[in-house]
Amino acid sequence: MANRPEPSQRVSRRDFLRRLAVAAGGLSMVPILQACSGYGPGATSAGGATPPPAAPTSASAAAPTAVPTTARIVPGAGQTPAAGGKQLTLLIESAFVKEFDDYFTSTLAPAYQKETGVVVNYDPVSVGSLQTKVTAAIETKSGPDLGVLEFNWAFLYDDALVDVSDIGENLGKQYGGWYDAAREACVVNGKWKAIPIGNIGECHVYRKDWFDEVGATTFPETWDELLEVGAKLKEKGHPLGLTMGHGFGDNHSWEYPLLWSFGAHEVDETARKVTLDSPETEKAVEFVKTLFQKAQLPDVLGWTDPSNNKAFFGEQISDTVNASSILTVAKRDFPNIAPNIGIALNPKGPTGQRYHMTNPWSIGIFNFSPNVEEAKKFLAWLNEQPHFQPWIDASQGYYVAYLHAYDDDPIWKQEPRLGPYKEQVASAHLPGWPAAPGRAASESLAKYVIVDMFAKAAQGQPTKSVISDAAAQIKQIYNIS
Amino acid sequence: MAVRSRPYVAAGVRLGQPGWVGRLFEHEAVFSWAMLAPAVLFLLAFVAYPFCYGLYISMTDLATGRAAHFVGLRNFIANTQDPAFWQVTRNTFIYTGGATVLKLLGGLLLALVMNQQFRAKNAVRAAFLLPWIVPTVLSAIAWMWIFDPTFSVINWVLVHLGLVARGPAWLGDGNLAMVAVIIANVWRGIPFYAITLLAALQTIPADLYEAAAIDGASPSQRFVHVTIPFLKPVLAIVTMFSVIWTFSDFQLVYVLTGGGPANATNLFATYAFNLAMGAGQLGQGASIALSMFPPLLLVILALTLYLRRSD
Amino acid sequence: MVGTHTWRVRTLRLYLPLAFFLLLTLFPFYWMLVTSLKPNEELYNLRNNPLLVYHPTLAHYVGVLLQTNFLRWTVNTLLVAVVTSVLSLVLGAMAAYPLARTRFPGAALVAVGIAATYLVPQTLLFIPMADIINALGLSNSLLSLVVTYPTFLIPFCAWLLMGYFKSIPRELEEAARIDGASRFQAMVRVVLPLAVPGLLSAFIFAFTLSQNEFLYALIFLTKSEIRTVPVGAIAELIRGDVFFWGQLMAAAVLGSVPVAVIYSFFVEYYVAGLTAGAVKG
Repeated sequence: MANRPEPSQRVSRRDFLRRLAVAAGGLSMVPILQACSGYGPGATSAGGATPPPAAPTSASAAAPTAVPTTARIVPGAGQTPAAGGKQLTLLIESAFVKEFDDYFTSTLAPAYQKETGVVVNYDPVSVGSLQTKVTAAIETKSGPDLGVLEFNWAFLYDDALVDVSDIGENLGKQYGGWYDAAREACVVNGKWKAIPIGNIGECHVYRKDWFDEVGATTFPETWDELLEVGAKLKEKGHPLGLTMGHGFGDNHSWEYPLLWSFGAHEVDETARKVTLDSPETEKAVEFVKTLFQKAQLPDVLGWTDPSNNKAFFGEQISDTVNASSILTVAKRDFPNIAPNIGIALNPKGPTGQRYHMTNPWSIGIFNFSPNVEEAKKFLAWLNEQPHFQPWIDASQGYYVAYLHAYDDDPIWKQEPRLGPYKEQVASAHLPGWPAAPGRAASESLAKYVIVDMFAKAAQGQPTKSVISDAAAQIKQIYNIS
Repeated sequence: MAVRSRPYVAAGVRLGQPGWVGRLFEHEAVFSWAMLAPAVLFLLAFVAYPFCYGLYISMTDLATGRAAHFVGLRNFIANTQDPAFWQVTRNTFIYTGGATVLKLLGGLLLALVMNQQFRAKNAVRAAFLLPWIVPTVLSAIAWMWIFDPTFSVINWVLVHLGLVARGPAWLGDGNLAMVAVIIANVWRGIPFYAITLLAALQTIPADLYEAAAIDGASPSQRFVHVTIPFLKPVLAIVTMFSVIWTFSDFQLVYVLTGGGPANATNLFATYAFNLAMGAGQLGQGASIALSMFPPLLLVILALTLYLRRSD
Repeated sequence: MVGTHTWRVRTLRLYLPLAFFLLLTLFPFYWMLVTSLKPNEELYNLRNNPLLVYHPTLAHYVGVLLQTNFLRWTVNTLLVAVVTSVLSLVLGAMAAYPLARTRFPGAALVAVGIAATYLVPQTLLFIPMADIINALGLSNSLLSLVVTYPTFLIPFCAWLLMGYFKSIPRELEEAARIDGASRFQAMVRVVLPLAVPGLLSAFIFAFTLSQNEFLYALIFLTKSEIRTVPVGAIAELIRGDVFFWGQLMAAAVLGSVPVAVIYSFFVEYYVAGLTAGAVKG
């Protein structure tokens, strides 16, 4: 039997609990006070001077912890607006390179505030959470004024975005014109619905030393050559690692281009005919099947986006398709691997063409925002070269600018290996190409139609049936009868 | 004896005739509703609107940022014609069934084991709660490494013990991926069963066991005739919640596999979410999410009847 | 002879199964701990024994604590968890008692209705919830969570406590009422004290459910200082496709060990005394 606590002990514990309850009750008043004090979006407190004690404008009401501001992973608290000043909120993905975020919050935002008195709040979320927040903002018609958009979201959320054609066209005229991929991504029915900031390029990141060992001193020019080289590499214990699982980008960014380079597409440019069920697609699927069996690491079927980075740093694979994050992290954390990294464009297919996937990072203005004019001014200001160029450069090549004026940006000389990330923009398209990107393309992506088609084939299912399944799905998605 | 059987007396309960308000609240129905009112009102205020909203949009073609048009049951009919939807259904039932059985048996066993006396009992108990306490997103990220075919510590151990030549591709093979997510779910969920059942076990008065032993009952008979009946209500309710949570599980699968490989681990919640967020198809996503409703409602109804009948 | 027999029985019935479960339960947690202490190069080095740390480092912990708002997130999370759990426990207990004990018109409907609030998944609910929060002007404040978390905590507490209340013999309350106690007094003075293990477990689970919630916190809270641990950790320790694994695991350890310690403290003091025969008739 357990010992009964002594009566005196029990009383003291009850005492303790009572005190705890009082403390909890007291603490629980804090968020109520916070809410009552108007701490929230659009709250304009009078002046940047000492805030009234019950209404802290930045810290949480619990005793603020002294956090040093040097080298923070995320930039600091929101600034207090000038007397009667406006605030803009920019919803953005946490930049992979924190210097990029830091440049915005420590340099750009204060500079803009100095010039115009408008405070720009930076609201970073992880890339996976971004679309959820954008959806919530649009559906509840509240939240950020500007938001980062990816892929074809300018098309997906077209009805909720402000027309920024004036800014788009001006920038094009001023800075040497836009890459086609940028227009493809952001011009919806002739109107600019977002301003493209940069392309998150995905290229082949490979181990030059291992490729050299099997005689491939330059990266293979065609997919067939890659298959040959990959087979030799796999025998040596260095298989390829091209993602085939349910991630965001590392899978699509070689599978769609591969499909296109074989001459296959989901639909035709009118989006009224399913063209997936074709001999070209069969060849592509057969190729991926063979590539998987002869050259790939079997695990790739279950990989999500961080998996290939892990495998690469674990020296398990010789090649993968990824953004420049692998190179940057290697230089920082894996000095023995970094010098052996090479970067190359997607190989050509039987059509003699090579393709890439556009991964546009653009900023749009939500039409429910009460500050549309201010937001437009800010967006234009942000894209002016003295502000834009150092910001983009802070990403160390992760984002590639879409304006030709930046083609000779010094960053490409600093690390010449990053060249392919810039070159690929010229041959990049969005999933769903050649049809215009739209909701159907997004649905196809969200349902992983192409990814699963290749994955099932790799798992051994007959080519014809995986293609017809996928084609049936496309038909249903694009509402083609 | 008198004090023991009337602890309220020791606690100083005021006895005697209540006033008319007191008498009113003695009425069974009035008292019940008075007690229920705050909770019910709160839930009505905060859940009713979202619930009805969810129901409504599942019958529209709502897409993010666009106006909704009523389409009746079209979304639901479209689901029945979507092979991925049926795979998702299969997956969810397998996932829920497998995980629940394992959690129930494991949790019950663990509760029985922990109901004994031993040193450091409370530290051990707190240790067993840890899988549940760790934020799911973070433990899911840990499982990404534990199941990563290259880096998996499980595979390392298996290989080093000489049991296998090469570790299994946990997340790369369709069937193994389902096993992997079930394992992660069971790991996280056993504490819920174990700790709640342990609390129930501790409410069982010891002299019931003594009386049964005096009457000649063996340990297993005592278990069946004393323990199980006492545990039944709590066990039933814990299982109900566990089934509901597992059936609608989202975070774990989303982080670990994203529903792959090739939809092998896609569940209702992850499929609906991808469609609603990724493709902006809020109406369609809602219809898939609501497909969870009928089976779960049946579970709740069955349990409610069972509990009311066993009164 | 009796001594060895009971020792062997004890090992079989207690120590062996206990060890087995402990191993299964703590093994991933051990891995998380170890990973939080490993420098990055060691983590990726396949030649290493993954179960050991060769050059432990506190850099990840330092990074989490100093370079992110982790401490603030923790305070936010604990605050919300305590308030919502207490609130839900009280309302849940009040609802559970009549559902477990009394018969009244609409009882079954209410019971089912309370549980049915679970049937619409959060992944669908969060948008209309966001609407409500905006209408109340609560967005970007912790109060938004205090108001929305009970929507899934109250049904849970109500039903769980219903189960515990049901396993307490009716005779006790009946005896009290015969002696003149009101229903309310019978509930508070007779049933609640006996249900303390149940109350405690309902509390701890409500607490952890609140602590681990992700979606509502993601949508309603924006500024870094006001975030909770799960949302903050994911937003700031995952950048693009780069996961700061060591720091993520450090956040996991830091986020869970204190709660476990507090729990063991409560358990020791409130449940230990219960098996004594308070229920003897």
